[in-house]
Amino acid sequence: MRKIRILLAKPGLDGHDRGVKVVARALCDAGMEVIYSGLHQEPAMIVETALQEGVEGIGLSILSGAHNTIFSKVMALLKEKGISDVVVFGGGTIPQKDRDRLKSLGVGEIFTPGTNTEDIVNYLKKVLETRKESKT
Amino acid sequence: MGESPFVVTPHKVKGAKRGFFKRVILMRPKKSLFDTDSIEEIRQEKEKWQREAYGTETEREEVFETLSGIPIEPIYTPEHIADIDYIRDLGFPGEEPFIRGVHPTMYRGRTWTQRQLAGFGPPEETNKRYKFLLQQGAMGVNGVFDYPTLRGYDSIDPQAYADVGRGGVAIDTMEDMRILFDGIPIENVSSSLVTCQPICNITVQSMYFANAQARNISLKELKGTSQNDFLMETAITIAPDVSPPKLSFKLSCDAIEFCTKYAPRWNPISFAGYNYREAGCTAIQEAAFVIANAIACSEELIRRGLKVDDFAPRLSFFFSGHSDFFEEVAKYRAARRIWYRVMKERFGAKDPRSLALRFHVQTAGVALTAQQPLNNIARAAYHALSAVLGGAQSVHIDAYDEALCTPTELSSLTALRTQQVLQLETRVTHTIDPLGGSYFVESLTNQLEKKIVDLLDEIEGMGGIVKSVESGWIHKEISGAAYEYQKAIESGEMPIVGVNCYRIEDEKLPIELFQVPETLEIQREKLERIKKERSSTNVQKALDAILRCCEKDGNLMEVVVKAVKAYVTEGEVTKGLKRFYGTWNPPLF
Repeated sequence: MRKIRILLAKPGLDGHDRGVKVVARALCDAGMEVIYSGLHQEPAMIVETALQEGVEGIGLSILSGAHNTIFSKVMALLKEKGISDVVVFGGGTIPQKDRDRLKSLGVGEIFTPGTNTEDIVNYLKKVLETRKESKT
Repeated sequence: MGESPFVVTPHKVKGAKRGFFKRVILMRPKKSLFDTDSIEEIRQEKEKWQREAYGTETEREEVFETLSGIPIEPIYTPEHIADIDYIRDLGFPGEEPFIRGVHPTMYRGRTWTQRQLAGFGPPEETNKRYKFLLQQGAMGVNGVFDYPTLRGYDSIDPQAYADVGRGGVAIDTMEDMRILFDGIPIENVSSSLVTCQPICNITVQSMYFANAQARNISLKELKGTSQNDFLMETAITIAPDVSPPKLSFKLSCDAIEFCTKYAPRWNPISFAGYNYREAGCTAIQEAAFVIANAIACSEELIRRGLKVDDFAPRLSFFFSGHSDFFEEVAKYRAARRIWYRVMKERFGAKDPRSLALRFHVQTAGVALTAQQPLNNIARAAYHALSAVLGGAQSVHIDAYDEALCTPTELSSLTALRTQQVLQLETRVTHTIDPLGGSYFVESLTNQLEKKIVDLLDEIEGMGGIVKSVESGWIHKEISGAAYEYQKAIESGEMPIVGVNCYRIEDEKLPIELFQVPETLEIQREKLERIKKERSSTNVQKALDAILRCCEKDGNLMEVVVKAVKAYVTEGEVTKGLKRFYGTWNPPLF
């Protein structure tokens, strides 16, 4: 069975990358293919990478508070490039009301501090396998 | 048991290339703290207790070890520290080996500096928070800078748009520095500038100095600290467009050299163990990496012609105050004794101030939770207590909303009050190094010291800290440790109240979250005005001077301090440096 391919990215100038690296390893350990972009990614670069690498999900890690601006940009660019079916999820210091707002933009789950990496793995497996099934 | 009549003192053999210590027997009559017969009697009684009392009851199902993996025994007795020679190994505060404290009076003379971090939005807003904290009893300024500033970008740089004012205050030009410290008596109040990366420090510290001079304050009198740690740029938060390790290291040493000459009361570097720890490493790695970094800086400065006692008194350290209470205390003490030995034996330092490791502690942010945030007040209080029992010179307590947002006024105030309660109500400050002599703490200190020194030897074997960064070794160590930490939380091996135990489902947050004020437009308007008003001739001259200095491998802080007076922006300085030195393709993991 084809492995799930996920892109994990740190957009903006936020330098807190401990969490995203831990998630990257956890997804790898769970059998997924992970492309980790590193820091200082611009939304356009993230979407371009997603397109080129053919990923099924993009995880954005934002601990700077810049999440509203950045998620909106990424969602708009995905639409522009015609790959809105890529699941966008994320993590960081993102308050509840902003999480609700992001959901209304089409963003998937947001995993905040204290999340168990198993929950992220299970979420991705569930949402991506469901998509595969609904396509066949 | 053959008891040696002589003290075995670790002593560096001249010409020894590897390792820090070679064991040589120094002919000094051994002065045991404890009588051999007493130790033997204690040992026998302990074995009896273990068999007949302790061993007959059940232990909790748990691995009893410190956070960094050192096994912890049920009880410690004089047997664990039977080899201690009090005068050689412990001594007195303010004297070799400095383990009991860096000053003779410690907190009986003067309390630690209570220095709470502040920084968000435009400088106008942060200035108000600085003033608020100082009015409420904070003893120094502790300034954080926003992500664009930390990376050397201007607020209007296209890459900066989402992050202006986030994580700290936005600083673009000297005008921002003037506003930031407007009405704050920097001639009396010391400022800690959390300019983590040398690429940021070279400009921001220069702006601070230039601003002081504009206020007729002599650099010779200015007190404060800059972080300026090259590992922050090349091993922690590394990004695709960062300075190569050699440039970052050079910038860091340029600033130290500059301050040694012109600002002798300024601490031009604060080896940021706190940040390495936040990125994932253990207490042992934290201490080893800061000391290895300090050794590399010292070697470079000596290569540049300075004498160790010219700069070493102003090298300062920055540690985390993490959750394993006794391990943290032991870490601070072990670090002091190792530094003393390194400075004395390896560098031949004579000035007692070179031999004394001075440090600031920030309580561990990574140990605080987004769940049930008020619990963090208790956590941070314990962290701060260990820092104070460990002899810290200055402390910042993380606010209870650390995992959620930039601190609000209330959470900053609560953190400051926690310091004041600790200082004024607990009386732990009434004697110096109160945990000294504890069988457990001294044993743990000795064990940590050994492990830290072993790791220092390993780094030395690689060619030093700069090489260990270039090869990616240090990145693997840190991210590996971070992954182990997370696994321990997820398995339940490391309980975190509210996260993997005592959770509240569908929790409602009992606190208000901070909103960062609009900053980008304020900074944009300011920059446009400044660019119109400044002399473009002077700006060009300044940028040319920076380029010439790069070509000659001169001291860059000397030219940048002049450049910022012409209102050259931080982004302009950074672009010039990166154009000359290039950027680096760092290891990602």
